[in-house]
Amino acid sequence: MGNQMIKKANAFEILNHWLLAGSFLILTLSGFGFLFHLQQVVAIFGSANTMKIWHNYAGIVFSISLFLTIFNYLPVSLKFGSDDMGWIMKAGGYFAKKAAIPPQDVINAGQKLYYLFILFAGIAIAASGFFIWLRPQVDDIRKWILLSHLVHNIAFDLFMIAVPLHIYLGTLANPGTFRIMVYGTVPLEWAKKRHAKWVQKMGY
Amino acid sequence: MARKALLISPELCIGCRGCQTACKAWNQLPATKTANKGSAENPPDLTPNLYNKIRYVEMPSETNTVRWLFVSQRCMHCDDAGCIKICPAPGALFKTKEGATAFNKDNCIGCKLCVAACPFNVPRYDEKEKISKCNLCSDRIADGLAPACAKTCPTGAIRYGDRDEIIGKTQKAGYQKLYGQMDLGGLGVLYAFKDSPKIYGMDEHPQIPETVVFWHKVLKPLAYLGLGGAVAASLLHYIAIGPKKDEEVK
Repeated sequence: MGNQMIKKANAFEILNHWLLAGSFLILTLSGFGFLFHLQQVVAIFGSANTMKIWHNYAGIVFSISLFLTIFNYLPVSLKFGSDDMGWIMKAGGYFAKKAAIPPQDVINAGQKLYYLFILFAGIAIAASGFFIWLRPQVDDIRKWILLSHLVHNIAFDLFMIAVPLHIYLGTLANPGTFRIMVYGTVPLEWAKKRHAKWVQKMGY
Repeated sequence: MARKALLISPELCIGCRGCQTACKAWNQLPATKTANKGSAENPPDLTPNLYNKIRYVEMPSETNTVRWLFVSQRCMHCDDAGCIKICPAPGALFKTKEGATAFNKDNCIGCKLCVAACPFNVPRYDEKEKISKCNLCSDRIADGLAPACAKTCPTGAIRYGDRDEIIGKTQKAGYQKLYGQMDLGGLGVLYAFKDSPKIYGMDEHPQIPETVVFWHKVLKPLAYLGLGGAVAASLLHYIAIGPKKDEEVK
């Protein structure tokens, strides 16, 4: 009984998360290359022109992948109840040993907020990026480009803060979590402690 | 090396546009077919193949009912250049030792951000989507020659020389302050205006767009700080509080 595994993520969700993460890494690396004229980074891509092509097309992959996440995470993220508030009030138990956390859905309140943030910032960075790339025919194009440039960079800064924390929380901070991104399964006992509501709904 | 500059004196200009032609000849830029729109100003705007042009301003005054102002228009070679600031491609836009804002088409990635960041709306893009603009004939001036426009100007309306020397001479001639003397770290094209810059079609206080300055001063460092801070906070949490061990989770 103690070793029973349950499925938390299907193949589509796993693959899509890797697509999002992979394109994000390419975009971030080339983004830093552009932002600070990092010759070593340009050398990885070959030239600034090639780096731009990678940046633009990784942006397409990122955008499609971001859109697909909606089916996995948006409905549950929008359900924000008193148990979620309880999670927030205790900061998810990350700053206290043995904190009693209210039962959570398939993703906890922190993950819900993180997802909503990623969706919002992702739409902002993608829309502004496509605007700069495609330069649609609009009046006062220079003003719109400057606005897009601003939005693109604000969103980038927010990503730079949020994503490392996300990676930490999904790996080192929570042993046993990263396997979801590989196998999609977790031990039932593990899930009962962290996602009680979901486990219950699944009928365990 | 002393910073070089052009001195533009609109009142000396006779509108012959020899500067436009000489520029095209030196920089090997083809002519463009234009339509007569009722003004002798031709072509009507800077193009990828037109690095400089004479702006014709008809501005009658009380004493002079036929006052024409001819203003040479081109890249201003700002010391603090918005185009260089925003450009994401290493080596596409750069300052030469003479102070010219020059470009290298091979390094340009065609993003056109410089078009938006230029306070004077100067950069244009050629058919290959590469930046194209006045570079102060940086190949000529590197060899001690005057730019083609200044070399050919028959009236001295465009003069080339050491920037400090130009400022000194014009001050002696009675110009308190030249247009472009202080703006944007000092422009590489100075104008001896006898009236308000507005009348000559120039921005009174040109500046790099505020969003670009904010991005450069705040958002850029924040990218590193945010990343470093988030990684540091994670490490600190790992050391000070530690991971959530399964047996500790209730």
